[in-house]
Amino acid sequence: MTLRNTTTAWGSVSKALHWLIVLLIITQWVIASRAESLPLGVAKLEALAWHKSFGITILGLALIRIVWRLMNPTPELASVTKPWERVLARVSHFLLYALLFAIPLTGWMMSSARNFPVSWFKLVQLPDLVAPSQQMYELMHSLHVGLNVALPVIALLHIAGALKHHFIDRNDVLKRMLPFSGAK
Amino acid sequence: MTNYLSALAALLVAGGASAEPAAKLAAAPAGTHLAGAPHYHQGPGSTLTFTFDQAGAASQGSFKQFTTDLAFDEQNLAGSSLDVKVQISSLDTQDKDRDQTLAGADLFDVQKFPDATFVASSLARNANGKVEAAGKLTLRGVTRDLRIPLVIKPTATGLELTGETSINRLDYGIGQGEWKSTEWVGDTVKLNYKVALIKAAGG
Repeated sequence: MTLRNTTTAWGSVSKALHWLIVLLIITQWVIASRAESLPLGVAKLEALAWHKSFGITILGLALIRIVWRLMNPTPELASVTKPWERVLARVSHFLLYALLFAIPLTGWMMSSARNFPVSWFKLVQLPDLVAPSQQMYELMHSLHVGLNVALPVIALLHIAGALKHHFIDRNDVLKRMLPFSGAK
Repeated sequence: MTNYLSALAALLVAGGASAEPAAKLAAAPAGTHLAGAPHYHQGPGSTLTFTFDQAGAASQGSFKQFTTDLAFDEQNLAGSSLDVKVQISSLDTQDKDRDQTLAGADLFDVQKFPDATFVASSLARNANGKVEAAGKLTLRGVTRDLRIPLVIKPTATGLELTGETSINRLDYGIGQGEWKSTEWVGDTVKLNYKVALIKAAGG
């Protein structure tokens, strides 16, 4: 397995980014649901601090992922894929990438609007994206929550597609993204 | 002179404890004013902000209601004085939840301690020649000595007083129970003040 992608296989950098982001997103959902249930106190501040730090990490990894993707060949879709499947795959991939940016950014704006500035693991304080405003906070909160409903829906479609490739089409589209599968 | 100063200080302290210190000062006999430094009271456009560390990020809030009374004569700093009273319930961090939490019993405890006061019965120059007020800050029922720098500049209607200082919130008991932890909310709180002062009539 090489670092870089080829036209038939994902390199280890692309795979690591894919799975690291998956793990972080699941972690984020767990932290967010815990934070939501807490009253404003030290535990909530702590949960939100981790949530923001992981969120900014996802944003950074998404940026690296896009740059890496543009610098590398993208493995081709399986030759048997039908035109409508190709369209669906392209649209869902595009939406997933878009959400990797939109979700952290709306979260960041939410924090700014509420005058709870974002720090990345207490190491760097990020600038505020918008001025404090209750209206802006409510808008960004709705968007942040709404986009987090869209994400699992599209992710399920993505998983369904991968499973179809594996079990019905019997090609290696799913296998080639698995962490330790060798590239052919 | 010393007796007179302590009498003035007592008046200022009494003023700080009453509901309307400005009115009390204004009501003082004119002779008391004329003998000391010229008096100034707070005008519009004054700000008192506080900055604290919340989970690694500097967060800001301000007190919307406070009064400042200054007796100031640059040539007679010993005869000058500063009296500030802050209405704690006017705190605003631009988030209602947080403001309510801050006003609660474990933090500012506004119910029991509605006001904070800073009273300095004289001013002085520090080693660097800068003007300072060495006074007593009473916050959440705890009184401690505090020296604050004062940059005082003349304006069209009086003076402008600016400066910044830092205090530790836990010194004043702001943080009981879980809030004693400084892991997610820092102990150090920076205070920035910019006060427009209008020369009192007859002062």
